[in-house]
Formats: sequence, structure tokens, C-alpha cells
Amino acid sequence: MNEDRELVEALRELASNGPVEAPPRVEQRLAWEFRRMKRRRNLLTWAPGLSAAAVALALLLGTHRDLLHPHQAKPAAVRAVESAAAPVAEEEADASFYPLPEAEALPAVENAVVIRVQLPVSSLQLMGVPIGNERAGASVDADLLLGQDGLARAVRLAE
Amino acid sequence: MLESPFRSDGDLLRLLASGEEKAFLEFYRRYQGQVYRFALQMSGKTEVAEEVTQDVFIAVMKSGQRYDSERGSVAAFLYGIARNFVLRSLERESPYVTVLDDPAADYAARLTTEAAGEQDVFGDLARSERLDTLRKAVLALPPAYREVVVLCDLHERDYAEAASVLGCAIGTVRSRLHRARALLAEKMRAGERCAV
Repeated sequence: MNEDRELVEALRELASNGPVEAPPRVEQRLAWEFRRMKRRRNLLTWAPGLSAAAVALALLLGTHRDLLHPHQAKPAAVRAVESAAAPVAEEEADASFYPLPEAEALPAVENAVVIRVQLPVSSLQLMGVPIGNERAGASVDADLLLGQDGLARAVRLAE
Repeated sequence: MLESPFRSDGDLLRLLASGEEKAFLEFYRRYQGQVYRFALQMSGKTEVAEEVTQDVFIAVMKSGQRYDSERGSVAAFLYGIARNFVLRSLERESPYVTVLDDPAADYAARLTTEAAGEQDVFGDLARSERLDTLRKAVLALPPAYREVVVLCDLHERDYAEAASVLGCAIGTVRSRLHRARALLAEKMRAGERCAV
């Protein structure tokens, strides 16, 4: 009985002598991971809806395969189209597109459409488009590159 | 300067699920010590403890909102996740590594250094040696016994909370703890005999 009490006391002493905290690098790694996951979650939240809306818009405007023009700067298979609602100069169609992180997991683009949409600056920043904070809170015109499946692959500032 | 108001665990879990980084960091700072120590005391390895701590809080980021306060405390919820990661890590490793390795040599060395600076050098050395022997004895216990010792004796969790973490009956915790302490006492006696 006495031995048991001594053992428990020794265990308590052992508990109070060990390291008490994880090294700061664990917190740093987790903070980085938290930001990465938040960014990814935000993209996943808006991207499918936006893609669906874009496809609907493209169909509504009569944009179809026969209107597609060959795309110069992308790989040969990639094609771009100018949205009737928002004309985009062909030579600048992909001059500054930023690939979306989620696009890496999607099939290769065979046919693409570019549509012009209005997006909040904060969303563009999350997508990796370098745009200053001075316009945070505002919405700007952006071009969205959609693949043949209607899912967004890349984005760029239209201005 | 105004002190920020205390936010409950439930508030923090809700806020971090909605993407508030400050809430996540507050939650992390509140519980990281317990999780890290649990993993270290279970594995004896700082690298495993770091990895487990990281994995536990990533799991919280992903599914912290699944926490149900009716099923136990937040600490028990985190210990439960940590336990799964630790056991997975132990399964990957050789069962002999824990005993033969000297994973917390820095810890033992620290105890020795601290002891050397004090008046009763021999007494403190004996104490640090005894603690080191005890630490190794805990690490040498089978995981099912080790986890009850770590939870109930090192982390001072009550039987009910330990049972909730381990997913077993309170009676099971009690009997495992009894057996674990008997094994530890035996190892300590054997250690003392060797020292003499």
C-alpha cells in the first residue's frame, strides 16, 4: 500500500519534470497548414458554383464548339473563345492567367472557353492573383478559363 | 490595454471551423501542451510527439466541429485522437526500440544538470536516476497499460475520463491501472537491486 503511494508520487514527480510544450516550429507549421486549408476551402466553395454559372452563361450566349478559335499561347489542344458579353483580345487571352491550385487534379484541357466575370478582389487574392489591398472589398472584372468539363482552370485580371 | 475575453472551447472550435486563424491558435495554445506531453510520454520520442501533435491539430482543423460535448471533454476528445496516432506510430516501429533507445536523453541530462547545481548533489542524482528508471519502466509497459498510467497518473485524469478516451469501461481502466502499477513497482524493485 505504502509502496503504491510512493510509486504514484514518483509518477507525479515524473510528470512535472518533463517538457511541457511542443516546440514553436509545430505551431508555425500548423498556422501555415491552417492558411493553406482555408484557401483551399474557399476555392472549393466558390469554384464549382462559378463554373456551373459560367457554363450556363456560355450556353445562353450561344457560345459553342463551332465558335471556338484556336488558341495560340497554350498547348496546341487548348482553345479559347471570346465571350460575346465580354470580348477579350485573342493575343492577350492567356498572357497572365494564373492556374488554380485545384486545376492540377483535373483532366488536361482539350477545349477551353474564357468568360468574363466580376469577382471580389479578396477572392482573386486567394486564387494567387497579385492584386493590391487598396481595392480590397471591391469587385473587378476577371477572365476565367474553363475546361471542356466546365470547371475553372485559371484566372486573370481583365483590366 | 484590454484583455481579450475568454472564449469557450466550443466557441473556438466553431470559429476555427469557419476559418478564423486566431481562434485556431488560441485553441492550439490551450491544448498543445497536454497533447504533446501525452504523445511524448507514450512514445518516448520527441519527433513522434511533434508529429502526433501536428496530426491531432490538423484533424481538429478538418473535423473539429464533430466534437460532441455530451460525449466528454475537449481534452478527452484530443487525447482520443492523439492516442490513435500514437498507437499507429508504435505499431510501425519495432517493439524493442522504445526500451533500448534512450529517446529522452536530453531530459535525463537536464535533470542531471539541474541536480548538479544544487547542494545535495548525490541525493538529486539518485532522484534523477530514479525518475529516469521510472520513465524507462513506463515506456517498457505494454501500450494498453502504458496509456492508463500516462492518463491517470501522469495527466491526473479520472477513471471516467480515461475510460472515455480509451473507449472502455471504468472497471477496465481501474484493473489495468492496478496491473500497470504492479508491473512498474516490480521493475523499480529490480532496478534498485541492480543498482545495489
